[in-house]
Amino acid sequence: MNEFINTPSTFKFISSRQFIILGILSFFFLFAIFISISIGSFKISIIDYFLGNLSQIQNKVLLNIRTPRVILAGLVGASLSLSGACLQGLFRNPLADPGLIGVSSGAALGAALTIVIGSEIIPNFMLATYILPLAAITGAAFVILMLFIFTKGFGVQSTIYMLLVGIAVNAFAGVGIGILTYISSESELRSLTFWTMGSFGGITWSLIFPAIIITTVVLFWTLRISRKLDLLQLGELEAHRLGVNIKKLRFNIIISSAIMVGISVSLSGMIGFVGLVVPHLVRLLGGVNHNYTLIGSIFAGASLMIFADLLSRILIEPAELPVGLITSALGSPFFLWLIFKMRTE
Amino acid sequence: MNQALLNIAFFVLFFHFLKGEDKVFLNCETTQNSSRIVVAGGSITEIIYFLNSEEKIVALDVTSNYPEKAKELPSIGYVRNLSAEGILSMNPSIVFGEDDMGPPGVIKQLRDINIDLRIIPEEKTIDGILDKIYCIASIIDKVPNAESKINSTLIPDILSIEKRLSTSTLIPKRVMFIFSIKGNKIIVAGSGTSGDGFIKMTGSENIFSTIEGWKSVSQEAIIKENPDYVIMSKRDLHNSKTIKSISENPIFKNIRAFEEQNIIFDDAMAMLGFGPRTIKSVLNAVNIMYLKNE
Repeated sequence: MNEFINTPSTFKFISSRQFIILGILSFFFLFAIFISISIGSFKISIIDYFLGNLSQIQNKVLLNIRTPRVILAGLVGASLSLSGACLQGLFRNPLADPGLIGVSSGAALGAALTIVIGSEIIPNFMLATYILPLAAITGAAFVILMLFIFTKGFGVQSTIYMLLVGIAVNAFAGVGIGILTYISSESELRSLTFWTMGSFGGITWSLIFPAIIITTVVLFWTLRISRKLDLLQLGELEAHRLGVNIKKLRFNIIISSAIMVGISVSLSGMIGFVGLVVPHLVRLLGGVNHNYTLIGSIFAGASLMIFADLLSRILIEPAELPVGLITSALGSPFFLWLIFKMRTE
Repeated sequence: MNQALLNIAFFVLFFHFLKGEDKVFLNCETTQNSSRIVVAGGSITEIIYFLNSEEKIVALDVTSNYPEKAKELPSIGYVRNLSAEGILSMNPSIVFGEDDMGPPGVIKQLRDINIDLRIIPEEKTIDGILDKIYCIASIIDKVPNAESKINSTLIPDILSIEKRLSTSTLIPKRVMFIFSIKGNKIIVAGSGTSGDGFIKMTGSENIFSTIEGWKSVSQEAIIKENPDYVIMSKRDLHNSKTIKSISENPIFKNIRAFEEQNIIFDDAMAMLGFGPRTIKSVLNAVNIMYLKNE
């Protein structure tokens, strides 16, 4: 029985067709990285980089501005999609997305607090680049703590209860953001608005370095639960009978999602629809077993986000569109089509 | 347990990378190369045009909408939401920014790349405007230009403003600055706003200085404060066609300034930008409000 759940190889339950799809997705991922690093408003040739023909400023733009940005886009895309896929599996609800458990609104509240009130308390420019992500992380952590307390360590029987707590937390954060919006000055309001539309601009290595380490660890850690998620689709009772520790599974998924979403939102702002749509896209391509969906979501989410960020950089260059605008613009029609298709089938 | 360790590790890492950043000092030293200028901030653009050095500008932000010709230059986006790569792709020799330039991460990226970045603070007084012009002129090595332009165009206006405001019989008018009217929602300037700064420059008193920021106020609050004069954006004049129709708007009933049509219309960007144009706007407002005093 235990062997069945804690299967040593994640790939054991992946069909050959799914292998091919995963291969294509990972190729797409590499392609997205290459294209995204090569293109931008600043003209830089990658070939010249390897030949050492770049000027000092080209080198700096490539290595210190564009590359960290592409990496962050990939990380955030992968994190949001993976946590979306996990939460959809956990709640057995195709509409679940990382925003649902309230973690993103918690992070948003933290960020809003810094933008609106922080400017008065924190001396100008001191830590300006770091204080916002830190506050957002704190907000996300606070929401996790709240969830933990209200669900008695995620141990409450029904998953619906968790959902409801998430909704309530979302509403609370919404009130907080509303109040802050009201008392904000016009310029703070502008900053707040841009933050809620998401951006990967202004990111530096020192900021994403910790994010890379933690997110990568959590990504791999999360992949281990895929088989249990499959069993959970039979129903909580059945899964329990088959030896799945539901309480522990729930704990693992919520905590890992919260960490991934918290880091993503704190570094890039609110980016909609990716966590919701990408898992659907992956399932549509190759099937519903989680060994495949989780890995697929990582690659598809990362590639899509990198492409969305590329679009945000080049569509109106040298200015820039908020990336959340692009993901929502691409995601919402796709989602409508998906719903329509589900209905007609 | 593992989780707790992970969290701790994360914060340790995060704090490890925290570094204090240098404060912004007003640095008006002449730049080595002012051949390619990128500007983020409408008043700075206006000043560079004022100094007749506009041919050096290669790109602007979207708040740089005066003079009209400036809109033809490539746009680097909104002043608070710039992109480092976009700015650098214009190959600037110097970047000017208003003090609300951002986001902070982008400013850090620009500093890291050693581009000559000058952030010009805003002070909402006539002296502040002159300082700003001199500072920018000094950076692009145009001080003689600035002196002659200021003496020929701004000083006469400043003198007439001072003359009007220095009369001994002057009683400061109580003024309301309306930013916008949308339906029956009236947004006015509270303390700390550029609208408040403009009212003070006209030697008058802001009736809503007790509120902070741009806020919507109720009709009752306006009737209670009963301003002598109202300053409005020209844009609202276009929306409601004529001064008369604005005065007849039911939300402005029983307000003296509207009944007596004591309304000053001007271009919002001219009044609130704190560039050379603002001085003309102040003179215009002062003339309307205090002419009767003489």
